[in-house]
Amino acid sequence: MRASAACVLGLALALALVGEAPAQRLAASDYALQCRGCHGADGAGVAGRVPSLRGVAALLETSAGRARLLAVPGVRQASVSDERLATLLAWVALRFAPSGAAPAFAPLGPEEVGRLRAQRGSSQRLR
Amino acid sequence: MSRLDRMTERAARSLASRLSRRSFLGQLGALLAGGAALPLLPIARGAAAETAREDDPTRCEYWRHCAIDGFVCACCGGSATACPPGTEMSPITWVGTCRNPADGRDYLISYNDCCGKGYCGRCFCNRNVGDRPIYYPHRSNDINWCAGTSTNVYHCSTAIVLGVAAEAQPER
Repeated sequence: MRASAACVLGLALALALVGEAPAQRLAASDYALQCRGCHGADGAGVAGRVPSLRGVAALLETSAGRARLLAVPGVRQASVSDERLATLLAWVALRFAPSGAAPAFAPLGPEEVGRLRAQRGSSQRLR
Repeated sequence: MSRLDRMTERAARSLASRLSRRSFLGQLGALLAGGAALPLLPIARGAAAETAREDDPTRCEYWRHCAIDGFVCACCGGSATACPPGTEMSPITWVGTCRNPADGRDYLISYNDCCGKGYCGRCFCNRNVGDRPIYYPHRSNDINWCAGTSTNVYHCSTAIVLGVAAEAQPER
Protein backbone atom coordinates (compact mmCIF):
# COMPACT_ATOMS: atom_id res chain seq x y z
CA MET A 1 0.00 0.00 0.00
CA ARG A 2 2.85 2.35 0.90
CA ALA A 3 4.49 1.62 -2.43
CA SER A 4 1.24 2.39 -4.24
CA ALA A 5 0.89 5.68 -2.41
CA ALA A 6 4.46 6.52 -3.37
CA CYS A 7 3.62 5.72 -6.99
CA VAL A 8 0.62 8.06 -6.96
CA LEU A 9 2.62 10.82 -5.30
CA GLY A 10 5.46 10.28 -7.74
CA LEU A 11 3.08 10.47 -10.68
CA ALA A 12 1.48 13.64 -9.35
CA LEU A 13 4.90 15.23 -8.78
CA ALA A 14 6.11 14.20 -12.23
CA LEU A 15 3.00 15.65 -13.82
CA ALA A 16 3.44 18.87 -11.89
CA LEU A 17 7.06 19.19 -12.95
CA VAL A 18 6.68 18.40 -16.64
CA GLY A 19 3.79 20.63 -17.46
CA GLU A 20 0.75 18.70 -16.38
CA ALA A 21 -1.61 21.44 -17.46
CA PRO A 22 -2.14 20.23 -21.06
CA ALA A 23 -2.70 16.64 -19.87
CA GLN A 24 -5.13 17.84 -17.21
CA ARG A 25 -6.98 20.01 -19.69
CA LEU A 26 -7.27 17.09 -22.08
CA ALA A 27 -8.54 14.82 -19.29
CA ALA A 28 -11.10 17.44 -18.22
CA SER A 29 -12.26 17.79 -21.83
CA ASP A 30 -12.45 14.00 -22.22
CA TYR A 31 -14.45 13.81 -19.00
CA ALA A 32 -16.96 16.30 -20.41
CA LEU A 33 -17.32 14.34 -23.64
CA GLN A 34 -17.22 10.79 -22.30
CA CYS A 35 -18.63 10.89 -18.77
CA ARG A 36 -20.13 14.19 -17.68
CA GLY A 37 -23.37 13.80 -19.63
CA CYS A 38 -24.53 11.09 -17.21
CA HIS A 39 -22.35 11.49 -14.12
CA GLY A 40 -22.60 15.28 -13.96
CA ALA A 41 -20.04 18.01 -13.44
CA ASP A 42 -19.43 16.90 -9.86
CA GLY A 43 -19.34 13.15 -10.59
CA ALA A 44 -22.27 12.60 -8.23
CA GLY A 45 -24.46 10.84 -10.83
CA VAL A 46 -28.25 10.62 -10.41
CA ALA A 47 -29.64 8.85 -7.35
CA GLY A 48 -31.02 5.45 -8.26
CA ARG A 49 -30.08 5.80 -11.95
CA VAL A 50 -26.45 6.79 -12.49
CA PRO A 51 -23.75 5.77 -9.99
CA SER A 52 -21.47 8.28 -8.29
CA LEU A 53 -17.81 8.35 -9.25
CA ARG A 54 -16.58 8.82 -5.68
CA GLY A 55 -15.62 5.16 -5.49
CA VAL A 56 -13.41 5.02 -8.58
CA ALA A 57 -10.22 5.55 -6.57
CA ALA A 58 -11.12 2.64 -4.28
CA LEU A 59 -11.79 0.41 -7.30
CA LEU A 60 -8.35 1.21 -8.68
CA GLU A 61 -6.69 -0.07 -5.51
CA THR A 62 -7.31 -3.76 -6.31
CA SER A 63 -6.82 -5.80 -9.46
CA ALA A 64 -10.42 -7.04 -9.29
CA GLY A 65 -11.64 -3.46 -8.97
CA ARG A 66 -9.56 -2.35 -11.94
CA ALA A 67 -10.96 -5.17 -14.09
CA ARG A 68 -14.47 -4.29 -12.99
CA LEU A 69 -14.00 -0.61 -13.77
CA LEU A 70 -12.69 -1.34 -17.26
CA ALA A 71 -15.68 -3.64 -17.87
CA VAL A 72 -18.21 -0.84 -17.38
CA PRO A 73 -19.70 -0.30 -20.87
CA GLY A 74 -19.19 3.47 -20.84
CA VAL A 75 -15.53 3.02 -19.85
CA ARG A 76 -14.81 0.16 -22.20
CA GLN A 77 -16.47 1.96 -25.15
CA ALA A 78 -15.04 5.39 -24.42
CA SER A 79 -14.00 6.92 -27.75
CA VAL A 80 -10.41 7.58 -26.70
CA SER A 81 -7.11 5.72 -26.94
CA ASP A 82 -5.95 3.41 -24.14
CA GLU A 83 -3.38 6.00 -23.14
CA ARG A 84 -5.93 8.79 -22.85
CA LEU A 85 -8.37 6.53 -21.03
CA ALA A 86 -5.69 5.71 -18.45
CA THR A 87 -5.10 9.42 -17.85
CA LEU A 88 -8.83 10.10 -17.74
CA LEU A 89 -9.50 7.38 -15.14
CA ALA A 90 -6.70 8.65 -12.91
CA TRP A 91 -8.10 12.19 -13.26
CA VAL A 92 -11.60 10.99 -12.31
CA ALA A 93 -10.31 8.97 -9.37
CA LEU A 94 -8.37 11.87 -7.88
CA ARG A 95 -10.94 14.57 -8.63
CA PHE A 96 -13.97 12.82 -7.20
CA ALA A 97 -12.37 10.94 -4.31
CA PRO A 98 -14.15 11.60 -1.02
CA SER A 99 -12.72 14.61 0.77
CA GLY A 100 -10.14 13.64 3.36
CA ALA A 101 -9.33 10.37 1.63
CA ALA A 102 -5.82 9.75 0.38
CA PRO A 103 -6.16 7.65 -2.80
CA ALA A 104 -3.47 5.01 -2.96
CA PHE A 105 -3.55 3.26 -6.30
CA ALA A 106 -0.85 2.32 -8.73
CA PRO A 107 -1.06 4.38 -11.94
CA LEU A 108 -2.88 2.78 -14.83
CA GLY A 109 -0.86 2.24 -17.96
CA PRO A 110 -2.12 2.04 -21.54
CA GLU A 111 -1.08 -1.63 -21.75
CA GLU A 112 -3.20 -2.59 -18.75
CA VAL A 113 -6.13 -0.52 -19.99
CA GLY A 114 -5.94 -2.14 -23.42
CA ARG A 115 -5.70 -5.64 -21.95
CA LEU A 116 -8.65 -5.15 -19.58
CA ARG A 117 -10.76 -3.44 -22.24
CA ALA A 118 -10.26 -6.37 -24.57
CA GLN A 119 -10.97 -8.99 -21.92
CA ARG A 120 -13.89 -11.11 -23.07
CA GLY A 121 -16.76 -11.76 -20.71
CA SER A 122 -15.64 -9.22 -18.16
CA SER A 123 -18.94 -7.37 -18.48
CA GLN A 124 -20.77 -10.44 -17.17
CA ARG A 125 -19.08 -9.95 -13.83
CA LEU A 126 -21.03 -6.75 -13.34
CA ARG A 127 -24.32 -8.58 -13.00
CA MET B 1 -17.59 67.83 -90.42
CA SER B 2 -14.29 66.94 -91.87
CA ARG B 3 -12.34 63.94 -90.80
CA LEU B 4 -9.66 66.23 -89.34
CA ASP B 5 -12.26 67.96 -87.15
CA ARG B 6 -13.57 64.63 -85.82
CA MET B 7 -10.07 63.39 -85.03
CA THR B 8 -9.23 66.60 -83.26
CA GLU B 9 -12.43 66.52 -81.24
CA ARG B 10 -11.89 62.87 -80.18
CA ALA B 11 -8.31 63.53 -79.16
CA ALA B 12 -9.35 66.59 -77.14
CA ARG B 13 -12.16 64.72 -75.33
CA SER B 14 -9.88 61.79 -74.57
CA LEU B 15 -7.24 64.07 -73.18
CA ALA B 16 -9.80 65.98 -71.13
CA SER B 17 -11.25 62.82 -69.61
CA ARG B 18 -7.83 61.71 -68.39
CA LEU B 19 -6.66 65.02 -67.04
CA SER B 20 -7.64 67.81 -64.69
CA ARG B 21 -11.03 68.58 -63.17
CA ARG B 22 -13.18 66.54 -65.56
CA SER B 23 -11.07 63.46 -64.96
CA PHE B 24 -11.36 63.81 -61.19
CA LEU B 25 -15.13 64.30 -61.29
CA GLY B 26 -15.56 61.35 -63.63
CA GLN B 27 -13.51 58.97 -61.49
CA LEU B 28 -15.20 60.15 -58.29
CA GLY B 29 -18.60 59.53 -59.84
CA ALA B 30 -17.64 56.03 -60.92
CA LEU B 31 -16.29 55.29 -57.44
CA LEU B 32 -19.44 56.48 -55.71
CA ALA B 33 -21.76 54.62 -58.04
CA GLY B 34 -19.69 51.42 -57.81
CA GLY B 35 -19.33 51.62 -54.04
CA ALA B 36 -23.06 52.08 -53.59
CA ALA B 37 -23.73 49.02 -55.74
CA LEU B 38 -21.34 46.69 -53.84
CA PRO B 39 -23.79 45.58 -51.10
CA LEU B 40 -26.23 44.62 -53.83
CA LEU B 41 -23.93 41.87 -55.08
CA PRO B 42 -25.38 38.42 -54.34
CA ILE B 43 -22.16 37.06 -52.79
CA ALA B 44 -21.97 39.83 -50.22
CA ARG B 45 -25.59 39.32 -49.22
CA GLY B 46 -25.16 35.54 -48.98
CA ALA B 47 -22.19 35.79 -46.63
CA ALA B 48 -23.99 38.23 -44.37
CA ALA B 49 -27.07 36.03 -44.23
CA GLU B 50 -24.98 32.95 -43.37
CA THR B 51 -23.30 34.79 -40.50
CA ALA B 52 -26.68 35.95 -39.23
CA ARG B 53 -28.02 32.37 -39.25
CA GLU B 54 -24.96 31.09 -37.34
CA ASP B 55 -25.62 33.70 -34.64
CA ASP B 56 -29.38 33.11 -34.32
CA PRO B 57 -30.34 30.58 -31.59
CA THR B 58 -33.68 29.97 -33.28
CA ARG B 59 -32.01 28.69 -36.48
CA CYS B 60 -30.79 25.18 -37.17
CA GLU B 61 -27.60 26.76 -38.54
CA TYR B 62 -26.80 28.31 -35.13
CA TRP B 63 -23.21 27.33 -34.42
CA ARG B 64 -24.03 25.54 -31.15
CA HIS B 65 -26.50 23.29 -32.97
CA CYS B 66 -23.82 21.36 -34.88
CA ALA B 67 -24.82 18.11 -33.13
CA ILE B 68 -28.41 18.68 -32.04
CA ASP B 69 -31.19 16.22 -32.86
CA GLY B 70 -34.62 17.52 -31.96
CA PHE B 71 -36.69 20.67 -31.57
CA VAL B 72 -34.81 23.87 -30.80
CA CYS B 73 -35.92 25.17 -27.39
CA ALA B 74 -35.40 28.80 -28.45
CA CYS B 75 -38.40 28.30 -30.79
CA CYS B 76 -40.50 26.68 -28.05
CA GLY B 77 -40.68 29.37 -25.39
CA GLY B 78 -37.25 28.66 -23.91
CA SER B 79 -33.75 29.58 -25.03
CA ALA B 80 -30.46 27.93 -25.94
CA THR B 81 -29.74 27.58 -22.21
CA ALA B 82 -33.17 27.38 -20.55
CA CYS B 83 -36.20 25.11 -20.82
CA PRO B 84 -39.65 26.46 -21.69
CA PRO B 85 -42.01 27.00 -18.75
CA GLY B 86 -43.67 23.81 -17.60
CA THR B 87 -40.82 21.54 -18.65
CA GLU B 88 -37.96 19.98 -16.71
CA MET B 89 -34.33 19.84 -17.83
CA SER B 90 -32.91 16.34 -17.94
CA PRO B 91 -29.94 15.93 -15.59
CA ILE B 92 -28.31 13.49 -18.00
CA THR B 93 -27.45 14.40 -21.55
CA TRP B 94 -24.93 14.01 -24.27
CA VAL B 95 -22.01 16.38 -24.81
CA GLY B 96 -20.37 17.23 -28.11
CA THR B 97 -18.13 19.92 -29.56
CA CYS B 98 -18.91 22.71 -32.02
CA ARG B 99 -16.61 25.29 -33.60
CA ASN B 100 -17.56 28.90 -32.96
CA PRO B 101 -17.06 30.80 -36.23
CA ALA B 102 -16.55 34.03 -34.28
CA ASP B 103 -13.23 32.90 -32.80
CA GLY B 104 -12.47 29.59 -34.56
CA ARG B 105 -12.30 27.67 -31.26
CA ASP B 106 -14.05 24.41 -30.40
CA TYR B 107 -16.45 24.45 -27.46
CA LEU B 108 -18.02 21.69 -25.37
CA ILE B 109 -21.78 21.81 -25.91
CA SER B 110 -24.26 20.03 -23.64
CA TYR B 111 -27.57 19.19 -25.36
CA ASN B 112 -29.81 18.89 -22.32
CA ASP B 113 -33.34 17.85 -23.26
CA CYS B 114 -36.38 19.59 -21.80
CA CYS B 115 -39.04 17.14 -20.73
CA GLY B 116 -42.55 16.89 -19.32
CA LYS B 117 -44.66 18.15 -22.25
CA GLY B 118 -45.31 16.63 -25.67
CA TYR B 119 -43.24 17.41 -28.76
CA CYS B 120 -42.71 21.14 -29.30
CA GLY B 121 -43.02 20.64 -33.06
CA ARG B 122 -41.18 23.84 -34.05
CA CYS B 123 -37.70 24.28 -35.53
CA PHE B 124 -36.76 20.63 -35.87
CA CYS B 125 -33.02 20.31 -36.43
CA ASN B 126 -30.86 17.25 -36.98
CA ARG B 127 -27.12 17.80 -37.32
CA ASN B 128 -24.64 15.15 -36.33
CA VAL B 129 -21.07 16.40 -35.83
CA GLY B 130 -19.37 13.79 -33.60
CA ASP B 131 -22.55 11.75 -33.20
CA ARG B 132 -21.96 7.99 -32.78
CA PRO B 133 -24.26 5.03 -33.44
CA ILE B 134 -26.76 4.25 -30.73
CA TYR B 135 -24.70 1.33 -29.45
CA TYR B 136 -22.41 4.00 -28.03
CA PRO B 137 -25.25 5.39 -25.91
CA HIS B 138 -23.21 8.06 -24.15
CA ARG B 139 -22.10 9.47 -27.51
CA SER B 140 -25.38 9.34 -29.43
CA ASN B 141 -27.84 12.15 -30.01
CA ASP B 142 -30.55 9.65 -31.02
CA ILE B 143 -31.19 8.78 -27.36
CA ASN B 144 -34.22 10.20 -25.57
CA TRP B 145 -32.25 11.80 -22.75
CA CYS B 146 -35.50 12.50 -20.89
CA ALA B 147 -34.92 9.04 -19.42
CA GLY B 148 -33.21 10.96 -16.63
CA THR B 149 -36.39 12.80 -15.61
CA SER B 150 -39.58 11.74 -13.92
CA THR B 151 -41.75 11.83 -17.07
CA ASN B 152 -39.59 10.56 -19.98
CA VAL B 153 -41.63 12.80 -22.32
CA TYR B 154 -39.44 14.80 -24.74
CA HIS B 155 -40.26 18.43 -25.59
CA CYS B 156 -37.14 20.20 -26.99
CA SER B 157 -33.34 20.47 -26.70
CA THR B 158 -31.03 23.17 -25.36
CA ALA B 159 -27.40 23.80 -26.37
CA ILE B 160 -25.39 24.90 -23.35
CA VAL B 161 -21.70 25.87 -23.56
CA LEU B 162 -19.68 24.04 -20.89
CA GLY B 163 -16.29 25.46 -21.82
CA VAL B 164 -13.50 25.29 -24.37
CA ALA B 165 -12.75 21.80 -25.71
CA ALA B 166 -9.19 20.53 -25.76
CA GLU B 167 -9.79 19.36 -29.32
CA ALA B 168 -12.57 18.95 -31.84
CA GLN B 169 -14.34 15.64 -32.29
CA PRO B 170 -13.74 12.95 -33.26
CA GLU B 171 -11.24 12.25 -30.52
CA ARG B 172 -7.97 10.55 -31.34
